[in-house]
This record gives sequence, structure tokens and C-alpha cells, in this order.
Amino acid sequence: MQLIKRRIIYSILLIVGFAWIFVSADKSGASTSGKIPAPQQGFLAPDFELKTPTGESVKLFDLRGQVVLVNLWATWCPPCRAEMKTIEKIYNEYKDQGLVVLAVNMTYQDDPSAIMPFVNEQGLTFPILLDETGAMASAYQLRSLPSSYFIGRDGIINEVVIGGPMAEALLRTRIEEILK
Amino acid sequence: MIDTFRSLFSPPRHLILLVAAMWVGLALAEKRAERHGISKDMLNNIAYYSILGYIIGGRALYALANFSAFMQNPLSLFSLNLDLFDPASALVTALIVGFVYGKRQKLPLWQTLDALTPFFATLAIGLSLTHLAAGTAFGSPTNIAWGMDLWNATRHPTQIYELLASLLTFGLVWFQKSDSPRGILFLSFIALTAGSRLFLEAFRGDSALIFGELRAAQIAAWIMLAIALFASESIRQRGQVH
Repeated sequence: MQLIKRRIIYSILLIVGFAWIFVSADKSGASTSGKIPAPQQGFLAPDFELKTPTGESVKLFDLRGQVVLVNLWATWCPPCRAEMKTIEKIYNEYKDQGLVVLAVNMTYQDDPSAIMPFVNEQGLTFPILLDETGAMASAYQLRSLPSSYFIGRDGIINEVVIGGPMAEALLRTRIEEILK
Repeated sequence: MIDTFRSLFSPPRHLILLVAAMWVGLALAEKRAERHGISKDMLNNIAYYSILGYIIGGRALYALANFSAFMQNPLSLFSLNLDLFDPASALVTALIVGFVYGKRQKLPLWQTLDALTPFFATLAIGLSLTHLAAGTAFGSPTNIAWGMDLWNATRHPTQIYELLASLLTFGLVWFQKSDSPRGILFLSFIALTAGSRLFLEAFRGDSALIFGELRAAQIAAWIMLAIALFASESIRQRGQVH
């Protein structure tokens, strides 16, 4: 009797489970990735417009169609400093294939006078942007430095790497994957 | 409270939760190991070798899959970057290492799996906590009163659902009668985990879809549930009792 009862319960479970797959199918696009801007893999990268130390304005939205690496950093952050040379190397290798690097300095929590000496010392050639108010950090819900966002040509975040320094192989594999 | 938790264990610190879960899980499994006829040392060894296999396999197979990138900078193989890792390959390696070790030591399969069940169940709790901390495995947008603000929308708190389900699963396997046939404890854990995933996946906002609109994880969970139910039925029929 108990055997039959158990088998009936198991059968009901499997039938209800199978039906649930179809009942809960994603008919209306419940997987919202891509539609809402949010600093998370699969979402549209939140837009920002920031100035370089020379006063030029750079808007993320204007770079749609290119692969963008947004790196959030500060001069007082040792892993941020450690990964800059690698980012520069990768930028030089892949910039002709459409890679853009935006190194956003967290100026609101950094010493502004230390930024350019560091950039010159490291010989960085990609754009350095200044987040003077913390608005960009807030939009990207910054919790740790460095934080890097790999953004595809469609403006969707392909990968988020929190912490560092990033290894060369990590940068290379992620960039090559997005550039494909 | 959730915000404080997320802030405290924001990535990459969220992995501390997983390591803590492994440690607690192994201690709990050890406590019950002898009940299943497995010595504490054997249980520890199989867990440690599998974890080692997980770490080495995940990195080595990732490097093999991205051979050219690693050839240009071989030292990256030893990088502390956790993103240079293939979790699926890691899991397969861990299973193979655990299986081979078990075979060599002539450990009985079902008893070993039963002995390891508290470890797996605690790991599932740890995994749901890492999801909560990192904001991954997030829910679809909703208007429900208990919705959680995450990634610029009010969403189903799927990480909380997952945590509650894993706690319930742990409770059910931990307090299961000890006179169950061998293998039933482990299969109950698999059935409960697969069943809860099958149900809860419906509220996720990051489901991978197949055949247009079906959620791949639900199909995989249904298959796992069916296998676990059929296997437990088969074990009960054979009357494999302690």
C-alpha cells in the first residue's frame, strides 16, 4: 500500500513539475537583462559623461559599437596601480580592433594632484576620466576598487571583475571573447 | 539588514561565505560519518582531494581552453584572479577525483554519498548566501510587497527564496530517520534541491532560455528530480537496509 502511495506521489510530482516548466516559461521576457541599465553582467551599462584632466568630455553612450573596458581606480589603491601597466599593454594590442579603455579615477575620494603624475609615470595612453562628484561610482554601485566592466558593442555588460590586479591572461581572454 | 550583509560580503569577499560553508559542512558531515560506516579520516580525505581537484581542474582546464592567452603570459596560471576559472570543468574534475579516490580506497558509493550529504546541504546554503551577497541569481521585476530593490528594479528576492529552500532541505536531510536504506539520504537531498530549483527558477530574472522560452535550469532540474525519484524507488525496492 505504502509502495503504491509513494509511486503515486512521485508521479504527481513529476507531472506537476513538468507542467510548471511550461506554465512558468518566460513568455514576457522576464529575463530583463539588457533592458534596464545596471552595473551587472547581462545588463545595459549605465551611461555617464565625465571629463578628462584636460577638460574634454567623454560619454559612454557615444562609444556604442565599440568594445569598452571601464576601469574604476584611485591612486591610493595598490591593486589599481598594479594592473595599469597590463591594461596599457592590452589596450595597445587591441585598440586597432575596436577596444576602448576608460580609466575612471574616483577623484571624489582621491588626491587630484596625484593623478597626472601617476598617469605620466606609468605612460598611460588611454583616456583618464575624473569622477569628481561620485555620481558615476554611485551609478555603478561601487563597493571595491578596482572594479572593471567589460562592455560589448551593444552596450551590454559582458563581464564584471571586482578586485585586482587583473592578470594579463584574464584581460586577454575577456577582450578576445567580446571582440569576436 | 540585507544591505549591511551585502555591503559586508560584497564581491570578492562573498567567497568567504562559501569557504565557511565548506568548513562547517565538513565538520557536520564528520559528526555523522560513522553512522554511515565511513571513517572521519576517509571522509576528510575524499573531501580534501575533491576540493583540490576542483581548484586545480578549474584553473588548468580554463588555461587549456584559453591556451594562447596563457602562452603569452604563463605566470597568469598562478594568478590569484578567481575569474580565471571554469566552474563546470572544476566540478567535473572534483567528481572524477572523488570517485577515483573512493574506488581506490574501496569506499561504498551510497554510504559515502550519504555521509557527504550534510556537506553538500551546507554548501548549498553557502552558495545561496554568496548569491545574496553578490546580487547574482537575481529575480525578475515584480510588484509584490516583499520585493527587493536590486539592479535598479524591484525584484523577486530569489536569493532569499533559495536560502530558505536550502535551509529547509538541510533540516529535512539532517533530521531524516537514520534507518533509511543506503543512498536514500543523498537522493532525498538531490530530489529536494532539484525540486526547489524547478519551482524557484520561475521567479529568476537571469534564466538561460532554450526552445525559445523554456528555462534551461528547470529542464535540468526536472531530469535530476526524475533520476533521484527513480533511483530512490529502485533502492527501496531492492530493500538495501542497514
